[in-house]
Amino acid sequence: MLLLQNARIAAENSPVLREGDVLIVEGKIQDIGSHLAVPEGARVIDARGRVLMPGMFDAHVHFRAPGFEAKETITTGSEAAINGGVTGVVMMPNTRPAIDSAMVVAAVLDNAKLRSRIPIYTSGCVTKNREGKELAEIDGMRELGVKMLTDDGDTTGDPAVLLRAMQYATEFGMFFASHCEVPELAGPRALNEGVMSYRLGIKGSPACAEEIIIDRDIRLAHASGAHIHIQHVSTKLGMETIRWWKSRGDVKVTAEVAPHHLLFTDEHIGDYDTNYKMNPPLRTQADCDALLAGLVDGVFDIIATDHAPHTPFEKAQDFINAPNGITGLDTALVSLHHFFVQPGKFGWDLVVKRYSAEPRRLMDLPVPSIEVGQVAEFVLFDTEAETTFTREFMKSKSQNTPFINQTLRGRVDLVVLGTEILLERS
Amino acid sequence: MARKDLLDIASLHREEIEFLLDQSTSFKELFTQSVKKVPALAGKSVLMLFYEPSTRTHTSFEVAAKRLSAEVTNFNVAQSSITKGESVRETIETLQAMRTDYIVVRHSRSGLPGMIARQTTASVINAGDGAHEHPTQALLDAFTIKEKFPDPRGKKVLIIGDILHSRVARSTSTLLQKLGIEVAYLGPGSLVPKYGPATIRRFTDYQAAMAWEPDFVYLLRVQMERQDVQFFPSLREYHRIYGITNTRLEEIRQRGLYIMHPGPVNRGVELCDAVMDYERSLINNQVENGIAIRMAVLDWLTPGGEAPKSAPTYERALPTFPHLTA
Repeated sequence: MLLLQNARIAAENSPVLREGDVLIVEGKIQDIGSHLAVPEGARVIDARGRVLMPGMFDAHVHFRAPGFEAKETITTGSEAAINGGVTGVVMMPNTRPAIDSAMVVAAVLDNAKLRSRIPIYTSGCVTKNREGKELAEIDGMRELGVKMLTDDGDTTGDPAVLLRAMQYATEFGMFFASHCEVPELAGPRALNEGVMSYRLGIKGSPACAEEIIIDRDIRLAHASGAHIHIQHVSTKLGMETIRWWKSRGDVKVTAEVAPHHLLFTDEHIGDYDTNYKMNPPLRTQADCDALLAGLVDGVFDIIATDHAPHTPFEKAQDFINAPNGITGLDTALVSLHHFFVQPGKFGWDLVVKRYSAEPRRLMDLPVPSIEVGQVAEFVLFDTEAETTFTREFMKSKSQNTPFINQTLRGRVDLVVLGTEILLERS
Repeated sequence: MARKDLLDIASLHREEIEFLLDQSTSFKELFTQSVKKVPALAGKSVLMLFYEPSTRTHTSFEVAAKRLSAEVTNFNVAQSSITKGESVRETIETLQAMRTDYIVVRHSRSGLPGMIARQTTASVINAGDGAHEHPTQALLDAFTIKEKFPDPRGKKVLIIGDILHSRVARSTSTLLQKLGIEVAYLGPGSLVPKYGPATIRRFTDYQAAMAWEPDFVYLLRVQMERQDVQFFPSLREYHRIYGITNTRLEEIRQRGLYIMHPGPVNRGVELCDAVMDYERSLINNQVENGIAIRMAVLDWLTPGGEAPKSAPTYERALPTFPHLTA
């Protein structure tokens, strides 16, 4: 039994925080009210001033296992999630072997059951080994619970292949997630084409390389009746393309934005800092502003980190050779608070809706909330305390993030899932 | 104002530039004397680390170092472990262990000399990195221009060619502008990016560029080897539209313009054969001045300083978020 007193409760459709006591019995929320009596044997936590919200759900993470365990494992990845207040994730399939068959899905999920304290879901490849040529055996993956099909890391290059996959798999109730870029335009480097790429003397990837595929893949979904989910949108016109398609109302399209695309621009790369190298690349301030507007307006259904760990050695290479990616699970919730909630750019209701509820709806999963009768799946967040993202603090095996050793306002104090306290900090 | 490394022009202060150009004048005076050597760097070692083929720059640095009495070693990249899969990082550690005083680096990857500089106590000189910077080329260009116009402010330099892939265009333009010289570009739309520096005019047409009345025409080498896709249809067409043809050379002669080129030249592409005999061609002056400039740079830099406990890039300066403060 756990009694949280005087918590400020956040909910997806409520702009104001509701203050109250929350009683949890046997992993379920039994009562909410003010001045609840303390049942005998209950542990009491004074939550005064702190925000209580449902556990977050990250629908775009790279846990690197199998194949790249030096970067991340199921254990370290899921602990990083808990550290950041995330209680469920969807893995991307660009592992080795790629998650493109029932056999690999089964291996990943078995591994997850053994090593993770939070539920882990996985996406599956559209094409075998993400090569964009032959369709992956989709039904076997579906049987094991795969909902999302993606060749993430790359675009499914041949539109005819993707269209056929959409026609085929949509009838199995699956949806498609697209990493968008025309490889011939994007070139091999993740760097926005513009003033910065010119200054650094590295060929850049133009915004249109991403926007063309955003539009192409939505059109393919329109033609086939598939549900298309556009991953990590980084450009203003990309956001506007999605807004336009959504306004038509005749295609099932959802979209995601990553915290780093809201926060950083290509200028942060400065003197070739590889912590700012990811794909899609960081763009300009105008793009950041447009993405934020798109998030507030609901063009983006979900926030997802694209948590992409790489070893210190890999990231210590020169900018051209260093791999693409930024970690996000340890830092996302605190950074959203520090840069957006605290200055009033959006409220906790948006965070709960876009980083907890909608990602679960995307995956057809039950949505936790702080309501009587619900399973206890929540985060207690201190908005006054600070978090310093030291190497020791972060649980991900890799720390390729510009937030390393940065101090931000906000702290995840308590993470509960059912009867288990996953994390407690005071 | 001691500096350990020379990595770019962008971070050089005006006083540093003036100092280097003045020093170069003194070094150049040596060239006409029977003993061209001075003991400035006696007992010091210079390592030449060229990952890209280069004859001129390599030789120029080598001559410069030897005239300063330094000991010069060539790190033979073709035969080194780099081709055996050793990472750049390990090579840097190896170099640091050799305790060389100066490292002159050329590499096809932008930013690599800076990375080496952060991890070694040696003075690192960028001898050209990708399409990023080539600071000693810029300095020798400025020196060459100042020999013709001791006060170059207000003079105009028209740079023609592949701006997009050119580290020379970047470094030289930056430096000339710092000296008050106007710079304009002329070249194919696919090779002169719209997002280049806003302070540089861009011409699309040769006649319009001439009407701007430049004092110098600076031709860039057309680098077919850097082009992953085609940027213009043919070298012949390039020559016809942007090259110095015989007719254009006549106009240049009548206007009394100087011609510069970082070399090596592609005859029949950037320029016709006759340009090589043009009385106001400064191409050979550039080569000679390159040695003086590189002597001045080697003499100026101060190796040593902080022990370079290799701060990996991922632990570098924390970012600031000025745009996010509410």
